Amino acid sequence: MNPRARWHPWAMLGPTLGLLVVFFLVPIGVAGAGSLFSWDLLTPPRFVGGANYAALAAHGELLRVALRTLGYSALVVTGTMTLGLGLALLLDRPGRFFAFVRASVFSAYVVSWVAVALLWMWMLDGNAGVVGQLLRALGAPPVALLGDPDAALPALALVGVWKLTGYAMIVFLAGLQDVPPSLLEAAALDGAGAVARFRYVTLPLLAPTAAFVATTSLVTSFQAFDVVRIMTQGGPARATELFVYAIYEQIFLNLSVGRASALTVVFFVLLLAVAGLQLRVFRTRRGER
Amino acid sequence: MLARRALLRALAASVAAAALGCGRRERPVRRDGRVVVTFWYAYGDLVRKVLLELVARFNASQSRVLVEAVHQGDYFECLAKLRTAIAAGAAPTLSHVVCEVVPYLARARVLEALDGYDGAGEIPFVPALSQQGAFRGAEREPTFCIPFNRSTPIAFASGRLLDEARVAPPRTWDELLDAARRLTRRGEGGEVRWGFEVPISWWYWVAMVGQAGGALVAPDGALTLGGEAGERALRFWQRLVRDERVMRPPPGRDYQAWQSSNESFLQGRIAMMWSSTAFVRYLEDNARFPVVAAPLPRDVRASVPTGGTMFVLLRGAPDEEKRAAWEFVRWMCDDEQTIAWSTRTGYLPVTRPAVDKLDARGWYAAHPNDRVAYDQLASVDPWPWVPELFRVERDVVEPRLEDAVLTGRDAHAILDEARAEAARPA
Repeated sequence: MNPRARWHPWAMLGPTLGLLVVFFLVPIGVAGAGSLFSWDLLTPPRFVGGANYAALAAHGELLRVALRTLGYSALVVTGTMTLGLGLALLLDRPGRFFAFVRASVFSAYVVSWVAVALLWMWMLDGNAGVVGQLLRALGAPPVALLGDPDAALPALALVGVWKLTGYAMIVFLAGLQDVPPSLLEAAALDGAGAVARFRYVTLPLLAPTAAFVATTSLVTSFQAFDVVRIMTQGGPARATELFVYAIYEQIFLNLSVGRASALTVVFFVLLLAVAGLQLRVFRTRRGER
Repeated sequence: MLARRALLRALAASVAAAALGCGRRERPVRRDGRVVVTFWYAYGDLVRKVLLELVARFNASQSRVLVEAVHQGDYFECLAKLRTAIAAGAAPTLSHVVCEVVPYLARARVLEALDGYDGAGEIPFVPALSQQGAFRGAEREPTFCIPFNRSTPIAFASGRLLDEARVAPPRTWDELLDAARRLTRRGEGGEVRWGFEVPISWWYWVAMVGQAGGALVAPDGALTLGGEAGERALRFWQRLVRDERVMRPPPGRDYQAWQSSNESFLQGRIAMMWSSTAFVRYLEDNARFPVVAAPLPRDVRASVPTGGTMFVLLRGAPDEEKRAAWEFVRWMCDDEQTIAWSTRTGYLPVTRPAVDKLDARGWYAAHPNDRVAYDQLASVDPWPWVPELFRVERDVVEPRLEDAVLTGRDAHAILDEARAEAARPA
C-alpha cells in the first residue's frame, strides 16, 4: 500500500518522533553538554572539558561500575531465563494445582520492587533472616550476604531473578503454546526422546520468545535502582553501585551534576553497544534460518 | 573550538538561568489571614511526632503565622530535595540541614543571613552547639544557621551484659578492644553476639580522627583528612573487624546502618555500640535491659564532632515568610520548647537556660545518660568552615571507609587516594 502523499508517513511517525526527540534525544544532548561542566545546581556552571570523565575514570571506578552493572545483568538475565524456562516446562500442564503454582510464581512479578526489597532484606539478615538460618542449619558459617562485598551483588541479582522469573515463565508458557503438537508427535514417531524433542523442536521454536525475554530482562536489570536504594545504597564498599544508582548518587547526594551527566553519557553508550550487539546476534540468527 | 565551547557554555548557562533565574517568589503564601511557612523536615517515628506536636502548639499559640511541616525523608534525601527545589524556584521557607553542608550552602548564597532578625544575637545558645561554636574559621561569617536537633556520637552498652562479663564501659581504645573481646560470644550454631558495633561512616571516623590527635583540615586549609591520625583510625577499625573479629559493621549505608545497629542492640545481638545521643530516649524506652551511656573512648585525647541539624531560612523566600519563619525558630529556642524537644527525643538542649532549668528540676540526676551526653560537649571538636567538606564527605571519604574496613585495603593507600580526590576540583 502506497501513501497518497509523501508527507503521510511522516505525519504518522510525527507523534512518536516528537516524543523520542523531546524525552530521549534532547535530554541525552543536555546530559552530554552538562558532562563538560562542573555544576552543583546552586552555583553557576563552570566549563571543565573532559575533567568529569577523567575523575570518574580515575582509579578505575568507571570501569568497575560498568563491569558491575554488566555482571549484575548477566546474572539476572541468565537466572531469569533458565528458571523461567524450567518452570514453564514443568508447569505447562492442565489442572488447578498447576494453575495455582503458576499464579504463585507469577505473583512476585506484580509486587512492587520496594516491597520485594524490604522482604529480602529481612530474609537475608545475617542473624535473624531465613536464609541465614537455613545456611546455619546446613552447617555453613553465618554470613550477612548484604554486608559482604563479595556476596552482596549476587544477592541482589538473586532478588532480581526471584522477581522476574514469574514474568519469564509466563512468556515462555505463551511460547510453548505456539509449538505445534503435530511437530512433537512427528518427532516422537521418528524415535526422538523427550530430551531430543526439546533440543531439536521446542528450543528452536522458542528462540524468538527467548530473545524477547532476554531483551526485556536485560532492560529491566540495567534499570535496577529501587532494589539498590533500599537494600544496600550501593554498599558495602561500592560493591552494588550499579549505573543508575551511581548517577543518582552523583547528582543528588554528591552535589555533582557534571559527573552524573558524564555517567549518563557513558551509560547511554554502553546501552547502545549492548543493544547493537543484541540486534546483530538476532539478525545473524534470522539470516541463518 | 572556541565557538563550540561558547555554545556549550551558553547552553549550560541557559539551563542554569532557567533553573535559578526564576527562583525567587515575591508574594508570601497566606491562609485565613496568616502567613504560611512551609517547613521541610527529615525525621520519622518519635522525633517526628514530637516535632509535629510542637508545630501544632506554635500554630495554636498565635494567629499571624501558620507553619506547615512537610516530611522529606532522611537528612540526605531532604537535602537532595532542597537543592533541587532551590534550583527549581520551589524551595520552602524553612528547613534544617546537617552541619557540614552549611558552609557549602552559604557559599552558594541560598541561605538567609540571620543577624538582622529580631533578637538573633541574644539567644543564649550552648556555645558548642551554635554556629560560632560548631565551626572553626566561621568567626567572620554571618549567622546562617540556628541549632535545632543537635547531637554528638556516644557509646551505649547493655548494662546487663556489662555486669555479666564484669566489664566497665571502656575509656580508651585499648579498653574498647579488650571489652569487645570479652563481650563477643560465638554460639555453637554459628550465631554471634558481637562485642561492639558502629556504622562504618564519616561521623564516627571523624570522631576517631580527633581522638587519635588529628584534624580534617590543616591550619593552611589543606584537606589532610587527619593525616596519620586518619589512617590510625581506619587501622583500628580494620583490627576490630578483620583481625579480632569482635565488631560487626552493620549492613546498609547512612541511617539504614544506624537503624540496623539500634535494632541489633535492642535485640541483644550486640553488647556495645556507638550511636547518636539522639537515640538516648528511644533506646531507654525500648530496651529490656538497662542502657548505659558513656563518652566515646579516647586514644590520645577525647574528641567528638557535633551532629544533628541546624535550622536554615532559604534566601529566595518572600521577606514576610522569612520573618514569619524566624518567629517560629525563635519560639522553638524558648526554654519551654527547648526542654520539651530535648527531654522527649534525646537531642541536646541548645540553650544554657534550658540546661540550667533541667538541672534544677533534677532531670539529669534522674537521667544520667542525658548528663553523659551533655558533659561530652566539653570534648567537641568543631567542624572546619570549608565549603568543599560536604562533597569530600559524601563522594570521597565515606565510600572509601567501607572499602578499607571490609576489603582490608591499606589505610595509607586509601587515604592518599582520598586526599588526591579531595584536592581535585568538583
